[in-house]
Amino acid sequence: MAAQFSASGAASSTARALSDHALWQTEAGGIDTGFAALDAAFLHQGWPCAGLTELLCDISGIGEIRLLAPALAALCRNEERSIALVTPPFVPYPPALEAMGVDLARMLLIRPREPREALWAMEQALRTGACSAVLGWLAETRLGFASLRRLVLAARQGEAWGSLFRPTRALENASAAELRLHLLPAAGDRLRINILKRRGGWPLSGIELDLATEIEQAQGTKERPTLSLAGVASNRQSV
Amino acid sequence: MKTLWLAAHFPALGLEIHRQPMADGDADRPAVLIEDKRIVQANAAAMRLGLELGMTLATAFAIARELMHFERDQDTESKRLAWLCLACYRYSSRVSVAPPAGLLVEVRGSLRLFGGLQALANTLEERFRGLGHAAQMACAETPAAAMALARAGRPKNSSAEVLRDEDMKDATAALHRVPLSCADISERQQERLSNMGLRNLGQLLALPQQELGKRFDQALVDYLARLSGSKADPRQFIEPPERFRSTRHLVESIDAKETLLFPMRRLAAELQDWLAERQFGIDALTWRFKPLHGEAVSLAVRFAKPTAKQTAFLALSRLRLERAELPREVMSIALAADSPTPFVAAAADLLAKHQAAASRAELVDRLAARLGNDAIQVLAKVDDPRPERAWVPLPATASSAEHRRIVAATSRRDGFRAESADTSTNDTETRETAIKRRPVWLLDVPKPVAIEDFTLLTGPERIETGWWDTVEYRLSRDYFVAAAKSGARCWLYRQRSKPDERSGQDGERNGHRNPKWYLHGYFS
Repeated sequence: MAAQFSASGAASSTARALSDHALWQTEAGGIDTGFAALDAAFLHQGWPCAGLTELLCDISGIGEIRLLAPALAALCRNEERSIALVTPPFVPYPPALEAMGVDLARMLLIRPREPREALWAMEQALRTGACSAVLGWLAETRLGFASLRRLVLAARQGEAWGSLFRPTRALENASAAELRLHLLPAAGDRLRINILKRRGGWPLSGIELDLATEIEQAQGTKERPTLSLAGVASNRQSV
Repeated sequence: MKTLWLAAHFPALGLEIHRQPMADGDADRPAVLIEDKRIVQANAAAMRLGLELGMTLATAFAIARELMHFERDQDTESKRLAWLCLACYRYSSRVSVAPPAGLLVEVRGSLRLFGGLQALANTLEERFRGLGHAAQMACAETPAAAMALARAGRPKNSSAEVLRDEDMKDATAALHRVPLSCADISERQQERLSNMGLRNLGQLLALPQQELGKRFDQALVDYLARLSGSKADPRQFIEPPERFRSTRHLVESIDAKETLLFPMRRLAAELQDWLAERQFGIDALTWRFKPLHGEAVSLAVRFAKPTAKQTAFLALSRLRLERAELPREVMSIALAADSPTPFVAAAADLLAKHQAAASRAELVDRLAARLGNDAIQVLAKVDDPRPERAWVPLPATASSAEHRRIVAATSRRDGFRAESADTSTNDTETRETAIKRRPVWLLDVPKPVAIEDFTLLTGPERIETGWWDTVEYRLSRDYFVAAAKSGARCWLYRQRSKPDERSGQDGERNGHRNPKWYLHGYFS
């Protein structure tokens, strides 16, 4: 973990060093996803807490945000830093965010008028270290390999978890992101996840999560991480 | 048995209450406390620069430009003093405030339990330091003497002399060396006494008391009598700290442990708020699970050090819960914390908070500078039954007071009522589950859709403002969670035509046969 973060900004790494890890970070240093099946598949047993994740999906409403909810809630509870949304496609509805455990006071909604400014804004939000997570919906035309690379570096510098939502046609191009997931709806409000790229492993397809039940639990078990109750439960469901 | 009083004097209380929320890095900056435009307290850094008590602020600024200054706030000081008294309650039930900046603890009965006088004094001093206050401690057989000694402070390296249990004679000798300025004697009298060449309590006590009574007043004689113990000095003891008690009754019984965690989390959050409000922490808590029939089961959780964090409460509680034998069909859960005690978050927490706020402000400023103020917002909930009006974006650059003002102005104040005529459940549970049925993404403007493209999953949840509302606010909709053919989870509503009205504000003119459907959000 130390090697990976060596390029990190000094100020935020102090804050990070001082905040209490144990409760939300997995032992390997990732952000606990709240889903046992995912934690097992990811290098740091969680979302990369200083890096870029790409989530590829073509339709809204398949659970692409609920997938991130347990981790976002954990960040809100255990860190003082903010969570930024850059040009989301719809209104992030406060009552639902709150129900997910996201602290509204921590949210920053960044909506520049010009699409090209959105990339800049996302990079800033990642780099300054003011945000623990930054979720972005950017125009595809802006996302060349070089700009993705910039986002990755910014995320590492600011020790932020960047998530980029992109259409599946982005698959055709290589990406600098550490983690690329392809999200698909599956029967019965389940989310099917194909891992297209991950550190320390081959692509992996066909992880299915039952969001309806898992989220129910994630809400009841905000403190989930490290402990086995939720782990056992989610194993049972994903079998 | 004779009483034994431990006194604590907080020489820098006035400054410390202001400096508490500050980060560590500020400790070395000169800081002074101002009353009537003059310095009444100064920290070590300020003293080193040559600032003196009684100096005017203007002079002080001429000497030290970096100076931080705070207005004296006696109200907060006395509140803080009362709070510090509560911190002593677990060492003795006989704790008393000694304004303006001290407190007294009767410790005779506690000595054995806490390992003797020196150990107890050290424990308390450590405790105060943990709460952000430096204390001068002293001990004597009368409260007045203990307080006078504490104010006098101890000469360096000889603290043990005053605090050792066996030789109280030393304490008497020390008391005689206490300068008059540390005694509870009015300033005017102090001046007169000093004009007579009297400098310390020893000299004063050596004088014939009757004479003193004639030349000064009875109050002075009384004070000296209380000092030596020849006159009783009753003190009023503080009330014990409040306890936390809260119970949640469940609408349906719960069998599974993991399901219990949801109401437990709510209770833990409640406790966290309660503690934060009082600046308390706890080192133990008790859960009580009551079944429909039979005995309740208690689950006690202890923490190595006091904590005030919900995460900490729950992390340990979960571990205990995993191993515990719980009754079937739990109907209510209670959380109790019997011995809360004053507590401040670790400096590390404060520092992290400080830095996060600073870097957020920096980010907001940078974005606003280039993109304009409206490009960066925060979201707030608004009290309005109409989903599309239940939130408001606020400029992130505005202060939180400004935010509150906007939210208050946007909220619907006058007696609306959202009727939630859910078909399946009712009562409080409905609200909770209803909230869970809110989509993450909301469409700015509901989009008309053809219902054939969707499968309804749950609902209806009726959101309705009635005839008593003005037309603008009137709505009547049945909301459903539905699956689109694409696989997306959607939030749809059916516009209801009201029996007492032909058309609603959305302009629908449909009977029940051909209701109009709208897409209002996505459960992303």
